[in-house]
Amino acid sequence: MPTYIKLTQDGLTTVEDPFTFVADDDQYIPPGDVILSLARFQTDGERLLSEGRAVGVRVTADETVESLAYDLPRLSVVALEFPKFRDGRQYSNGRLLRERYGYEGEVRAVGDVLREQAQFMLRCGIDAFEPADGSTPEAWAHAAGRFRHVYQRAADERVPAFVLRAERQ
Amino acid sequence: MKGLTANRLIDGEVVFWNAGEWVERFADIEMFEDAAAAEAAEAHAKAQPTVVVDPYLMDLVEIDGVWIPVAYRDRLRALGPTNHLQHGKQAEGGKVVETLQHAHTAARSTGRINLIKRK
Amino acid sequence: MYRYDTIDKEFVADRANEFREQVGRRLAGEITEEQFKPIRLMNGLYLQLHAYMLRISIPYGTLNAAKLRKLAWIAKTYDRGYGHFTTRTNLQLHWIKLKDAPDILEHLAEVEMHAMQTSGNCIRNITADPYAGATSDELDDPRVWSEAIRQWATLHPEFSFLPRKFKIAVSASAKDRTATRIYDIGLAMRRGRNGELGFEVMVGGGLGRTPYLSHTIREFLPTRRLLSYLEAILRVYNRHGRRDNPWKARIKILVNQLGAEEFARQVEEEWAKSDHELVDLPDIELARIRGHFAKSFETLPARSEAFEAAKAADPEFARWTRHNLHPHKAPGYAIVDVSLKTPGLTPGDASSEQMELVADLAERYSLDEARVNYQQNLILPHVKLEDVPAVWRELKAAGLATPNIDLVTDIIACPGLDYCTLANARAIPIAQQIAERFADDEKAEEIGELKIKISGCINACGHHHVGHIGILGVDKKGEEFYQVTLGGSGAEDAALGTILGPALPYEKVAEAVEQLVEVYLRERKDGERFLDTFRRTGVAPFKEAVYADVH
Ligand code: HEM
Ligand code: SF4
Repeated sequence: MPTYIKLTQDGLTTVEDPFTFVADDDQYIPPGDVILSLARFQTDGERLLSEGRAVGVRVTADETVESLAYDLPRLSVVALEFPKFRDGRQYSNGRLLRERYGYEGEVRAVGDVLREQAQFMLRCGIDAFEPADGSTPEAWAHAAGRFRHVYQRAADERVPAFVLRAERQ
Repeated sequence: MKGLTANRLIDGEVVFWNAGEWVERFADIEMFEDAAAAEAAEAHAKAQPTVVVDPYLMDLVEIDGVWIPVAYRDRLRALGPTNHLQHGKQAEGGKVVETLQHAHTAARSTGRINLIKRK
Repeated sequence: MYRYDTIDKEFVADRANEFREQVGRRLAGEITEEQFKPIRLMNGLYLQLHAYMLRISIPYGTLNAAKLRKLAWIAKTYDRGYGHFTTRTNLQLHWIKLKDAPDILEHLAEVEMHAMQTSGNCIRNITADPYAGATSDELDDPRVWSEAIRQWATLHPEFSFLPRKFKIAVSASAKDRTATRIYDIGLAMRRGRNGELGFEVMVGGGLGRTPYLSHTIREFLPTRRLLSYLEAILRVYNRHGRRDNPWKARIKILVNQLGAEEFARQVEEEWAKSDHELVDLPDIELARIRGHFAKSFETLPARSEAFEAAKAADPEFARWTRHNLHPHKAPGYAIVDVSLKTPGLTPGDASSEQMELVADLAERYSLDEARVNYQQNLILPHVKLEDVPAVWRELKAAGLATPNIDLVTDIIACPGLDYCTLANARAIPIAQQIAERFADDEKAEEIGELKIKISGCINACGHHHVGHIGILGVDKKGEEFYQVTLGGSGAEDAALGTILGPALPYEKVAEAVEQLVEVYLRERKDGERFLDTFRRTGVAPFKEAVYADVH
């Protein structure tokens, strides 16, 4: 089974991936847990969920998470696809999932996912990663923990500088 | 006629290809009459990503018996900035440097597409 | 000025460490140039024609002696003993080695400086009125808000990979000294009906290939809602700005495609959905930041006899005071503009020695403050009138007392083809040639306010679109040509220039400027600046003069 990096109670660790990604033109949907494209989810999602499977949706950078709003409670994974690491749209999608829609399932970064972006991703609510650069969980954690401080609130629990300062006074 | 140039990764210095080595003076550049040989050298350079950045072939033209780059931008790379003549490769002087400096008009820009990408 | 606390210090130290490690990985071949380039750019490191270039951030243009000395030292130690102050109030060093860059960042961190976000598709260095905290015509110190924005924007997790770069300018006076209209976001402070302060929010300005002046999307935003509102603007832009074509990716394109009203509606809608309290700074933090900018001035008479006597005694000094002094809000003080525009030299360049001298003067005479403005000059913001003659003598000895602020020789020029990989043509020598033609101070003074701005390519780093006379380098079959525009302005009366005619060859540009000035002197009516005359007469008489020999 393929693996990916996930933020768990023990920190970032390698876990096995129970999901199979079903491409839009795949005729055959394998048994078990699946991640579908947004379009595919709209046609087949209902049926697959009713079969008791865990279902995730893969959102491209052109798509917005608003279109998933009503289905989120039933989704196990939202996979945010980074076509290029320089394409920052998924950071907004990640924050909206967590902060606006209160989504509590897994948000996974897929595509051109590099460790230099680890902190940004974690801060935007992404808690699972399929690194394209072969990063280990250790390398990922190291990159994500580079900065002792943050200056703004985001989708994570980190306390921004202005709050720490106010507490100190 | 073509010559191969790049910037050295570690310090950004403009360098020129000569028989498998990177040299700093334009006067020491290897000239390729044969396009295939030039492209082979370029391919070689591209396989050295920890040595140089953005190697590319530039066209050369003969002026006053000296072969120099066609593009004005490449001439400046071989010289240094015109507002500080004491800085850059031009500080060393010599015949090739002088030819480069006085060859203002015949410039034609090529290699620009490669250069735009680098920023 | 703002001083770092432990948090800020640890932040820039962490950043320097991170970059050291990334450079190590690049040199070891663990990451490719394609992966490394955005990393180095986010640390201000470009690869230019002759070497790497490091762009050091000078937030809202404010410096103290320690910072300026450190910049001078870095320029001397790691570069060639000079630096270039830019239209975005950064300092560029043009001869940097990649292997030294991590050390330089560490040295910068020692004096509470960095090069973060001076490039890349992120929120760039914030610019503010260079006379902030010194001028009498401001509603508030714009640096308080600029610093709040700086911190909020620093490694913002959502907005570090925008479609394109993003620049914000803050002004708090009726007089616009920051060119707010040509910024992605321009913030101009206004007083509301009940006396409270707020910002007029202007979005979608920018120069480059498709120049636009910004649109006001909100007449009045209460100051304390600033960050949440910015977050809403940035979110709309991050999600909907074009990413398929870098030339169409700036927010100006989105704003103009949607229309300012629709863009404003989307921002308001997003803003309404967000929890402002989570984003906006609490009053206690704003007060902490504000405290850093408070300055106390001595109680002095408004008039200094020593200063008046020096003016009466020395016409050269008197001339300089006419152009390089600006009224200060505190009686008995003045704002001193230090020109980096000596005719014949490179606009915006300062040697390490000159930086050190200005640092000394700032320490001794200007409450330990110096500024950089977008005209690529330095400023000593708080000088006692009685000290002005001494300051002038020292500046003069260092070649820094050119009496030409806002005059024809106070030319903005980008590095152009002498340094820049993107250039079509050189900008610096054109500036030098023009300045030399008007090097006579008396002549320059007679001509009056005239802003010449030169860019080496359409990216418009030299702001040519908003020059009274704008000059743009173009490439015509490999030769340097220059397109001239007239009538632009980056000030309160912002406007984009009109093209004069076909591009001129390198040799003809300075002469053409002289011809333009002659037309102005001939046509002008009482009190008219070049810009006013142009606006009245239109382009025709100017065009005729420059292209006469072509007919
Ligand atoms: C030398 C290396 C430089 C490079 C590679 C560079 C690159 C660029 C590019 C590509 C743009 C256009 C961006 C766009 O419209 O999307 C731009 C705009 C700009 N640059 Fe530079 N630049 C350089 C130096 C400078 C310098 C020295 C200054 C200040 C003198 C400067 C100030 C600006 C400003 C103010 C703009 C804004 C125009 C706008 O808002 O569109 N840049 N630069
Ligand atoms: S305007 Fe063009 S030539 Fe000048 S600095 Fe900018 S990119 Fe370079």
